[in-house]
Parts: sequence; C-alpha cells; structure tokens
Amino acid sequence: MDAATPAAETLLDLHRSGRLAARYPEVRALLDGLDDAELVRAGRLLARLDVDEVRAAHPDVPTVAVTVTGHGTLAPLLPALTAELARHGLLLHARLAPFDSYVFDLADPDSELYRAEPDLVLCVLDPMVVFDEVPVPWRPADVARVLAEKVDLVERLAATFRATARGTLVLNTLPLLRRHTAQLVDLASRAELGALWREANARLLRLSAANPSLVVVDLDPLLAEGSPACDPRLTVYAKAHLAEPLLAGYAREVGHLARNLAGQTKKCLALDLDGTVWGGILGDDGIDGIEVAESYRGEAHRAFQRVAKQLGAQGVLLTVVSKNEAAAVAQALREHPDMTLREDDFVRVVANWAPKHDNLTELAGSLNLHPDSFVFVDDSPFECGLIRHALPGTAVVQVDAEPALHLVKLLRDGWFTTRQLTAEDRDRAAGYRDDLARQDFRQSFTSLADYLAELAVEVELGEAGPEQVPRVSQLSLRTNQFNPTTRRLQPQDVSELLDDPYARVLTVRSRDRFGENGLVGALFLRRDGDLVQIENFLLSCRVFSRGIEQACLAAVLRHARAGGASAVLASYRPTAKNRVVADLWPRHGFAPAGEDGDAIRFRHDLHDIPAVPEHIRLTDRIGVDAA
Amino acid sequence: MNSLDDFLHLVTDEVGIPVNAEDARGDLDQVAGWDSVHLLTLLTVLEQRTGRTLALPDVLAARSLADIYDLAVTA
Repeated sequence: MDAATPAAETLLDLHRSGRLAARYPEVRALLDGLDDAELVRAGRLLARLDVDEVRAAHPDVPTVAVTVTGHGTLAPLLPALTAELARHGLLLHARLAPFDSYVFDLADPDSELYRAEPDLVLCVLDPMVVFDEVPVPWRPADVARVLAEKVDLVERLAATFRATARGTLVLNTLPLLRRHTAQLVDLASRAELGALWREANARLLRLSAANPSLVVVDLDPLLAEGSPACDPRLTVYAKAHLAEPLLAGYAREVGHLARNLAGQTKKCLALDLDGTVWGGILGDDGIDGIEVAESYRGEAHRAFQRVAKQLGAQGVLLTVVSKNEAAAVAQALREHPDMTLREDDFVRVVANWAPKHDNLTELAGSLNLHPDSFVFVDDSPFECGLIRHALPGTAVVQVDAEPALHLVKLLRDGWFTTRQLTAEDRDRAAGYRDDLARQDFRQSFTSLADYLAELAVEVELGEAGPEQVPRVSQLSLRTNQFNPTTRRLQPQDVSELLDDPYARVLTVRSRDRFGENGLVGALFLRRDGDLVQIENFLLSCRVFSRGIEQACLAAVLRHARAGGASAVLASYRPTAKNRVVADLWPRHGFAPAGEDGDAIRFRHDLHDIPAVPEHIRLTDRIGVDAA
Repeated sequence: MNSLDDFLHLVTDEVGIPVNAEDARGDLDQVAGWDSVHLLTLLTVLEQRTGRTLALPDVLAARSLADIYDLAVTA
C-alpha cells in the first residue's frame, strides 16, 4: 500500500509481521508522525490487537476502560478512539454495547454496562435519535416535542449514572442536518426548527453543570471546521448516523479527556521565539525588525501570542525555550511597543545556545515538573525532531512558515483540557513567579534552616467541603510526584468520600512571606475500627521540601491517637514519577508492614509522633476526633 | 488495485484482517474475525482507492470477498 510516511510504513510492517502487541510501547512515538488519514488507518490496525496480549507484554501501559453505547452503529468509532488513546500512551480497553441499547444500559443499575465499571461511558447521540420518532408529515412543533422527551430522558439516565457508577459519562450535542431543515419549505419554520434544535443542544450542554459525572462534547465546533456530519448512504444502509471524520474529531476530544483522567494533562507550554512567537530573527533583524503586529506576518504572530496569553491566564505555565541572546530577548519582551506577551506572562524565559532538549529538561526540573508535562512549539523541524527523539513524552507542535496557522496547530489538540477551572489555576503563574523570588531569597542564606525560619511558612489543615471538590480532584489528577498511591479521583469520587461517614478528606493550604500558595495538598483518611488508614496524601510539587508534609502528618497522627486509634496505616505504590515519596512514611516513623500487590504497606504505632517543624506555624482546623 | 491479490493485501493492511485467496472465495461468515462493520471500512477504503462510487446495496449483499472485488473493479 502507499504508506506516505516512514512511521506509517513501520506500523504496517509491525502489523504484517504480527509484532504490534510486542512492540506496543513504540506505537505512541510512531503515531506522532502521522497525518489524520494515516492515524485512522493506524487505528484500524491497533483496534485489531488483543488488549490482554498487550497488557501481558507491557503491564506498565495504563489502560482506560471505555464502554461505547448510543443510538446508531458505533463500531466505526473504535479505530479512531484506539488511535487517539494510543497517541497518549494509553491502551483502550473497549466494550461496544449492543446496537441502540443506551436507554436500557444506562437506566438499569444492574446492566452489564454498570457491572463492567468502565472509566468512561460514551453515549453517542445522533440526529436520528429524534427523527426516528418524528411522524411524517411533521412541523417544528413535532420535533420540539420529541427533543424535549429525549433531553428529559437523557437527563434521567445521567442522574442514574451518577448515582450508580464511579466513572464519567460522555454525551454530545446533536448535529442539525440540512437533510432535515430543507424539508421545511417555508423559511419561518426553518428558522423555528433551527432555534428549538439549538435550545435542546443548549439544555444538553448545561446538564454537566449540575452533574459532576457528566461531560457533554459540543460537536458544533468540529462541524464548523468542515467535518461532514453524516454519510447519507451509511445512515440508510448501515444505521451509522455520524460520519467517520466527525467520529474521529469526537474521538480526539475523548482522548484528551481520557488523558486528563489518567493524570496526564499537560501543564506547561514551551515556546520558541524566532518564527514562532514573532516573525523574523531577533539576532539578525533586531528589536525593530521582528514582526509582532501591524504587518501581515506581524498580525498572525499577534494572534498566536494572544492565544498563548489566554492559555496562560487559565493556569497553563508559559515558558520560552529559544536559541538567542538572553539580554536581547529580555529587552524585546520588555521594550517592544507592540509585543502582546511580556516578561511577566512567562514563568521562565530560557534563551541561550544550549541544545533545546537539555534546556527543556533543566527547565522542567526548576519548576519541579516532568518533561512529559510540556507542550513544545517550534517552527524548526530540526528542533521538533530533537525533542521528539530525546523527550518522547513531551508533546511537540510543529508550526511552519505560515504563522496564521500557528494557533490552529496549537489548538488542534486539547493538550490542557481539564474538567473545571479552579482559583488555583487562575493564580498559578503568579505563584510560580513568587517561587523565583523564593529561590533568590534562598540563595541569600547559607543554611536551609535559616532560610526556612525566615520564609515564615504557615500551614492550615482543614476539612474539605463541597466547594473544594473540584480542586481536590484536580490535585489528584495532576499530582504525579508527591502521590504515594497515585489513586486518581474524579470530582464525583471526592464527593462520595465527603458523604462517606468512615472517610475524611483534609485540605492543606499554605502561605509564606512571598504570598499565598493556595490549596496545595490533601489527605484522604479512612477509619476502620481502631485503625486509621491514610489512603493517600497529595502535595503540590510547588511546596516540596519545606516540612509541610511533616506538619500535616504530625497533626493527623496526633488526632488519630486522641481519637483512640491504635495505629495509622499507609502505603506506597511505586511509579516512574513518585520516587520523591518512596521514603515518606519511614521518614515520619512508619514501620514497613508487608506488601499488598505492588504496594508497600506501612504502619505507625502512635508512640513516637513527629513534631511540627519549628519553622512552620500550623493552624489546625480539624476536629479533635478527626480521623 | 489491479488484481485480486492487490485487493487481498488491501483488506489485510487497511481493515487489519489477514486474508488469502481461499478466504476470498469462501462465504464472508467463514472469514475469521470478519463482521459487518469491516465491510463498511472496506467500502470506504475501496471508494477512496478506486475513485469510483460503489453500489452499497450490492456490496452489502455480497457473500464473498471475491464478489466484492468484482463489484469494485466493474463499478
């Protein structure tokens, strides 16, 4: 076959020789080089793999269990979904519900769908959900009636899902097709149909505001990009009511949701400068010569800068990794009259002549992040290739000589997709800039103890309430390092813990002389007779190494003893990224207590409780009987 | 796509199901791993490759891969 790229050829060779399962970890990098059409072809091959065989060969590959249900023939979604998850290093474990079984699947708490306990349930809706039940002849009022019934039904199904399942239910808006609007010959009725259709879609979209288990994918922006909604032949002959390109776009959105649920949301955007952030070459053209506004190219770069700024305002950390003279870059960002992005918009600006993968690795380290958390944008194929090769977990957005497409390429993937924005997101960049001030301050002291004493760290340990659910869930999904068990909690999981009489969720806030850190940690406790189990302890990477964890554990252990507990249990499940907490429990007086599968268990007998470090002022807002 | 052999390669590489000349002559139900959804994929791919529009009702009613090949080359 005429495979266009070497990566596609390699995938095909692996498929033909039956080695695709054995070499699955290489698939992610291979998919990175494919265009959309090749990705779908690769998805067809990957969808044929035996999931159990891949898991047996590669137990470390994270699996996402997805049940696909809905109204029409949905098997054509599976190849695209397989490929989109594989792009993120995830293995799709798919279950396709029987044809048109979504009402039964979701309404019956005993259904096979619920028994399978999937991470994600995709209930794919299409326009025929409505038009299958509209009589002939019909008026807009007939459609309004069926639409209302269907949205009511879906709302009830989503409520049952919320009460029954711990995963996430994904719905979608219904495309309005010309084959339906054009059946009305009078324009007034057509307008009426358009209005009531969109009101129903708006109702669907709003359902997720009241139901934390629910995500509604808006198909309109995908359709507006030119994706056909339906193939008239396949809808008639095969009951496949949504066209494959639309399903592929939908699968991409779901892929980013799955990545978020797997704790792999990107946190940082690293931008090249010459040809990416601005037109021209700073070193050759000078500050006055680079294009950031007013000219044709300048306007395209301005549009791109505005998008970066917009992302930065929502908690994405903006950084620069550029081959340039640092002083010239600083001057351009500070003094160019038309520059949209300024020094203050970036948490770090790295401009030097070192190789970019080294710069990116060092930058990640200085932010206490992993290079996997980065999205790297560059117009140089060489630099992009270098990062792909050296840091395969870093997402690479390769832009080119057409700057008007930079923002399209950056936004083509929902790299920073998250369920809900929190106050911490909006303040994140400022927090990281405060960290720079902390580092400078740190360098003025000869000992860590002197520094900590002057830092004036305050920690507040409190009880989580409903208003903290989004942030606590987000911490569990974002935190990879200080996360001893890496148990991910979606918002509804946190809500359930708050309602559970044996469980407690404690929040950790901190501040110091440089400002608020916000809600930076959480402890999950469970009472079992006279034992207290610390199910997990999360701490943001921004506040490591200040004794905050010791202050929190001291308080929890003290409360456990006061509440009559005989011991506190904890565990550590090693991952590639959480080595920083490998000795967390022994360091605070916990003794090893055997193994539980891949986890190491620890036990604290409550005799020798560590003290709150002297340099920390702890405000303990949890009740005496806490834990 | 100039021969039945090309066609079988296409099924193997695009649909992901390895097939040989014997499979091509037998009933579709007897082809290991085959189901009706693969037929939809094959239709899409055939139309892309040949640049011709196939008569879907005929293809959907075909009983063997060889029948589908005949429809594709005579369309």
